[in-house]
Amino acid sequence: MSNEFNIKNIAKLASINLSKEEQDSLSNDLSIILEHVNALSDLKLHAQQQEIFIHPLEKELELQEDEVKKSLTHDEAISNAPESKDGKFVVPPSME
Amino acid sequence: MDVSNLSIREINSLFTKKELKPSELYSKVFENAANSEAALHAHLTLFEEENIKKAAESDKRFSSGKSASLLDGIPIAIKDNINIKNYKTTCSSKMLSNYTSPYDATVIEKLKEQNTLFTGKTNLDEFAMGSSTENSAFGLTKNPWNTDYVPGGSSGGSAASVGARSSIAALGSDTGGSIRQPASFCGLVGFKPTYGTVSRFGLVAFASSLDQIGPITKTVDDSRIIFSSISGEDNRDATSVINNQLDIPSDNTATIGVIKELMEDGISDEAKNEVNKVVEILKSKGYKVKEISIPIIKLSISIYYLIAPAECSANLARFDGVRYGLRVDGKTSYEMMENTRAEGFGAEVKRRILLGTYALSAGYYDEYYGKALQARKEMIDEFAKTFKDVDYLISPTTPTQAFKSGEKTSNPLEMYMSDLCTIPANLAGLPAISIPTGLSKDKLPLGVQIMSKPLSDNPLLDFSEIIEKEVQFDGQPKGWL
Repeated sequence: MSNEFNIKNIAKLASINLSKEEQDSLSNDLSIILEHVNALSDLKLHAQQQEIFIHPLEKELELQEDEVKKSLTHDEAISNAPESKDGKFVVPPSME
Repeated sequence: MDVSNLSIREINSLFTKKELKPSELYSKVFENAANSEAALHAHLTLFEEENIKKAAESDKRFSSGKSASLLDGIPIAIKDNINIKNYKTTCSSKMLSNYTSPYDATVIEKLKEQNTLFTGKTNLDEFAMGSSTENSAFGLTKNPWNTDYVPGGSSGGSAASVGARSSIAALGSDTGGSIRQPASFCGLVGFKPTYGTVSRFGLVAFASSLDQIGPITKTVDDSRIIFSSISGEDNRDATSVINNQLDIPSDNTATIGVIKELMEDGISDEAKNEVNKVVEILKSKGYKVKEISIPIIKLSISIYYLIAPAECSANLARFDGVRYGLRVDGKTSYEMMENTRAEGFGAEVKRRILLGTYALSAGYYDEYYGKALQARKEMIDEFAKTFKDVDYLISPTTPTQAFKSGEKTSNPLEMYMSDLCTIPANLAGLPAISIPTGLSKDKLPLGVQIMSKPLSDNPLLDFSEIIEKEVQFDGQPKGWL
């Protein structure tokens, strides 16, 4: 496993604006943690265990009927919005 | 006799015999809160005023003989990552400091149907990420046994509240040990049910394939009562399962396995001694006990710290300053999101989001997340094989007694290691319980953990109750009543 990472790129992907100080300290922490998780690279896995696993009890995902069920009202859904207008969420423009 | 020391069944019996009123018990737990909150800070919000009317309604039901529920009038504290309609759900994060829930979690709906009284919302590590409740944006919670020490985490407020008797029981959530570890640190019972038996609807998601709601209580029977009240399939949680319990023995025809890898280096002698003490008791009762080796357990921390952060980075993407929670302005939507998440999340949450983002990013997915998923599957298979041989597995709950506040905050990896014994049950979806068994030389509680196969929660509780009765741990933190 490789531990090379660019903290600025990761922060960009995660949409978190990090200060220079945070970049340094988080970079250091992540290196230590990644070094530890590298223990996994030595694990010899059995061939039949290559499938991707979803539910710890192996419950199969079931599709639900496409039907209207009781849920939040429009007003409830928007009640915690930092900014709203005419029942809609308001956000800054996507481009300057 | 102090009524707040009693078990749920004992309290219900007094209510039924009209020797105690729910409103009197409710006042008593708030008296206890008044004595302890300044020192412990178990709760973020206390509900006293709002629920006095509900306590009076419980009084009426018992006086007219119309109460049908063991939980009627029982004051229960709720971890502040579980939604109660019209109350704040902060997750101990600046991000949600002003968030008011417009709906009830399924577990809350179920407890309301039983006429449970809620005492308030308890402190936690931000978004349940931590092992000491030191990551809360709203201040530390202290251990009721000794305030120099942490109560554990992330459900540290729930454990401190039950420990100080400012509630009779509490709900927590457990992603890697967050119910069992604080229960152990505070001398209580902490039960993480089989994954899927308790609906996660209304629990703010951290790592969805690992998260599970469960009780923190004074006795095993209290945990049984709460588990039976909150469990059940729920179509609002796609991972929920039908709670069809297996029938495995809890009497001395059962075989017990001691996990070799959790009795080695990194585990204190005191923690090992508690396991050995329980093993001797079980042998004397005629149980067959043998040592079991599950080598992949040694990789638990590595597997967990790829899977949990990966899921957390996806789950916490919803906190973007648009629909709820904090917003910090920016010239564009993207700037607003980046500024909001920079300001709203604390250091540990950022650390895990970044780790998860990296593990899931192009070029690293197979190497990290994919490998961790495969290793997790291998662990599940190893447990399944082990449970063909034994009925229950025993280990320490935590490698050591509670640690001091500030002792592990500068080294994240050292903090992560404190969940070494509890993480495997989350990775494999197993039911697991911590039972208090004794005190360390520093007079702090120690506990043992028992695990069993998926959907054997009820036998696990029965077996744990046998240990509880034999060990007779009756310790209680002093000075709060």
